[in-house]
Amino acid sequence: MSTITALGLVLMILMILVGGKQGWTSFLSLLLNFGFLYFAIVLIAFHVPPLFVTLTTGTIILAVTIFMGEDDLKTTVTAFYASLIVMGILLLLIIGVEHWAMVQGFGPEDSEDLEGMSILIGISYLKVAVTTTILSTLGAIAEAAMAVAAGLTEVLNAHPDISTAQIMKSGMAIGGQIIGTTFNTLFFGFFGGFLTLFIWFAGLHYSFGTIMNNKIFVAEMIMVLTSFIGVLLTVPITAWIMGLRKKTIVDSFSENK
Amino acid sequence: MQKLKGSAGFARQFLILLVIGLGALLFTFHNEAFYQRPLAKVEQVHNEKAVKQTDEFKNVDWQTKQHLRIKMLNGKYRGQVLTVTNTYSYSGAMDQRYRVGNEIFLTRVHEKNGELHAAIAGYKRDTVIVFLVWLVILLLLLMMRRQGSLALLSVIVNTILFMLAIELDLKMQSSHVLLIFGVLALIFTVISLVMILGFTRRMLATLGATVFGTIAAMLISLLVFNLTQERGIYYESMQYVTQVPRPLFLAETLLGSLGAVMDESSDIVATIFELKQLDPAATKRQLFLAGRSVGQSIMGPLVNVLFLIFMADTFTSSLLYLKNGNSWGYTFSMNMCLGTVQSLISGIGIVLAIPIASALAALLLGKKAKA
Repeated sequence: MSTITALGLVLMILMILVGGKQGWTSFLSLLLNFGFLYFAIVLIAFHVPPLFVTLTTGTIILAVTIFMGEDDLKTTVTAFYASLIVMGILLLLIIGVEHWAMVQGFGPEDSEDLEGMSILIGISYLKVAVTTTILSTLGAIAEAAMAVAAGLTEVLNAHPDISTAQIMKSGMAIGGQIIGTTFNTLFFGFFGGFLTLFIWFAGLHYSFGTIMNNKIFVAEMIMVLTSFIGVLLTVPITAWIMGLRKKTIVDSFSENK
Repeated sequence: MQKLKGSAGFARQFLILLVIGLGALLFTFHNEAFYQRPLAKVEQVHNEKAVKQTDEFKNVDWQTKQHLRIKMLNGKYRGQVLTVTNTYSYSGAMDQRYRVGNEIFLTRVHEKNGELHAAIAGYKRDTVIVFLVWLVILLLLLMMRRQGSLALLSVIVNTILFMLAIELDLKMQSSHVLLIFGVLALIFTVISLVMILGFTRRMLATLGATVFGTIAAMLISLLVFNLTQERGIYYESMQYVTQVPRPLFLAETLLGSLGAVMDESSDIVATIFELKQLDPAATKRQLFLAGRSVGQSIMGPLVNVLFLIFMADTFTSSLLYLKNGNSWGYTFSMNMCLGTVQSLISGIGIVLAIPIASALAALLLGKKAKA
């Protein structure tokens, strides 16, 4: 048995032991996301336009993460709409930033790994860079949208006649509570992966100016910073959607009663 | 959003942040004097006709040669104009198209027969980072004030610690990678949690859950590594490795999962403490089950957050492997296997933290069930 299969089995068993049916669904969502991600690469390799692949794969990954992560439709539908809007805004920002920064493809530090490869593959790496950056932010957006939406559903349940302005205020308060830990998740998630790169920079005594203009470093920083921006935008947008869907949600509460 | 109270103060803060941001951006547009490396600005571009390129895998690409008139911005040749050549391809993996107004770094600047010659070393990108950092700070401070500033402070402190640890690792000549970064992970956790929660019992419970959850996940994974003899793990596919790869990989995994495990533990512990306040008579069992149910609903999204972060990075090189005639399986092994292992180990940590956090908080607070 290969190590990956064994670790996957351990994770599956633990998820089912701790989470029961919900644990199994979570494991399944991870598998599905992996499948869609790999499929996205294959599609781009077959010259399907990267922007189209980004939008469809992005929507699917958001749907899988949100709808398989939680059962309550009041929370999930709001979170899904909100994260779709954030993905749209972020896509525009990222397209702009990637064209400005030109960090597509590989940097000089990759040369050794690329030896013997043909890099003229006829697919625009700039467009692929947009895809990569968007996909890396989606998990964080989905998670933040779900946290804010779940909190606001509870608020609406307790105070059905709350005003839209108050929903916004509560949304921001919930956002304030999650922002510290969410930033931590992203910071460590990304910086853990940069360890070797940073040791390279420090070991070869790159100057501050060199690092700030280094292709790979700037590419990674764009991922971290756009993830932060995505999470920040998610908070008010989720609250706003919740305000729009207030009537539907309050009605569904009274039906349940 | 905060217009009701202190709208004047709000407007002032907004203006201050705006001015600082614009100032920082303007600075990066004109900071050529601060760079030791020669910088130049593109003033004129002349493109030759695109040439079709076909490789042995039938990939078709187009290459274009550019002649750029550039003006030196710093150094002793400041103000002088010279011509350099650049070749860019449609795919642009290692090259890029330059346009009028772009600023570029040069190398090998030398004078020959009264004329300046140089080669292009790279594109100036610092403005982009400054812009994005400013955007993050602006949104963070305007939207979340106190919590926003704390989150920002925690990121800054963690970055500084991270750099110190890397320096230390290089000083020790990478002999104790796991020890250094393990201790660093512990310090990270304590500092982040104290900043978010203060020095409280809640913080101690969260800290305990994070530490035990992470250690348990690492131990289980090492056991699995041992039993399967690390079959299918290709450390040689790790990027930018300058030291022994295996301990570095474990350190990366440890750090990578830390934030998510902390995130989840603090959610669970917070819920249990809140429940205890609402219902002081709650038993240990009730508290434990409440914590577990919170954990169940957030573990899926959290594992996916890390999975997407770890895997997105491998996208570009996987694509290159596929277009170089490699099989899907080989492409996976050489690019994605380490990311997958990292995601799985982090997932194990995230799942294990649920019962540990619930049990710790419940033991700390719960009353014994009266029989």
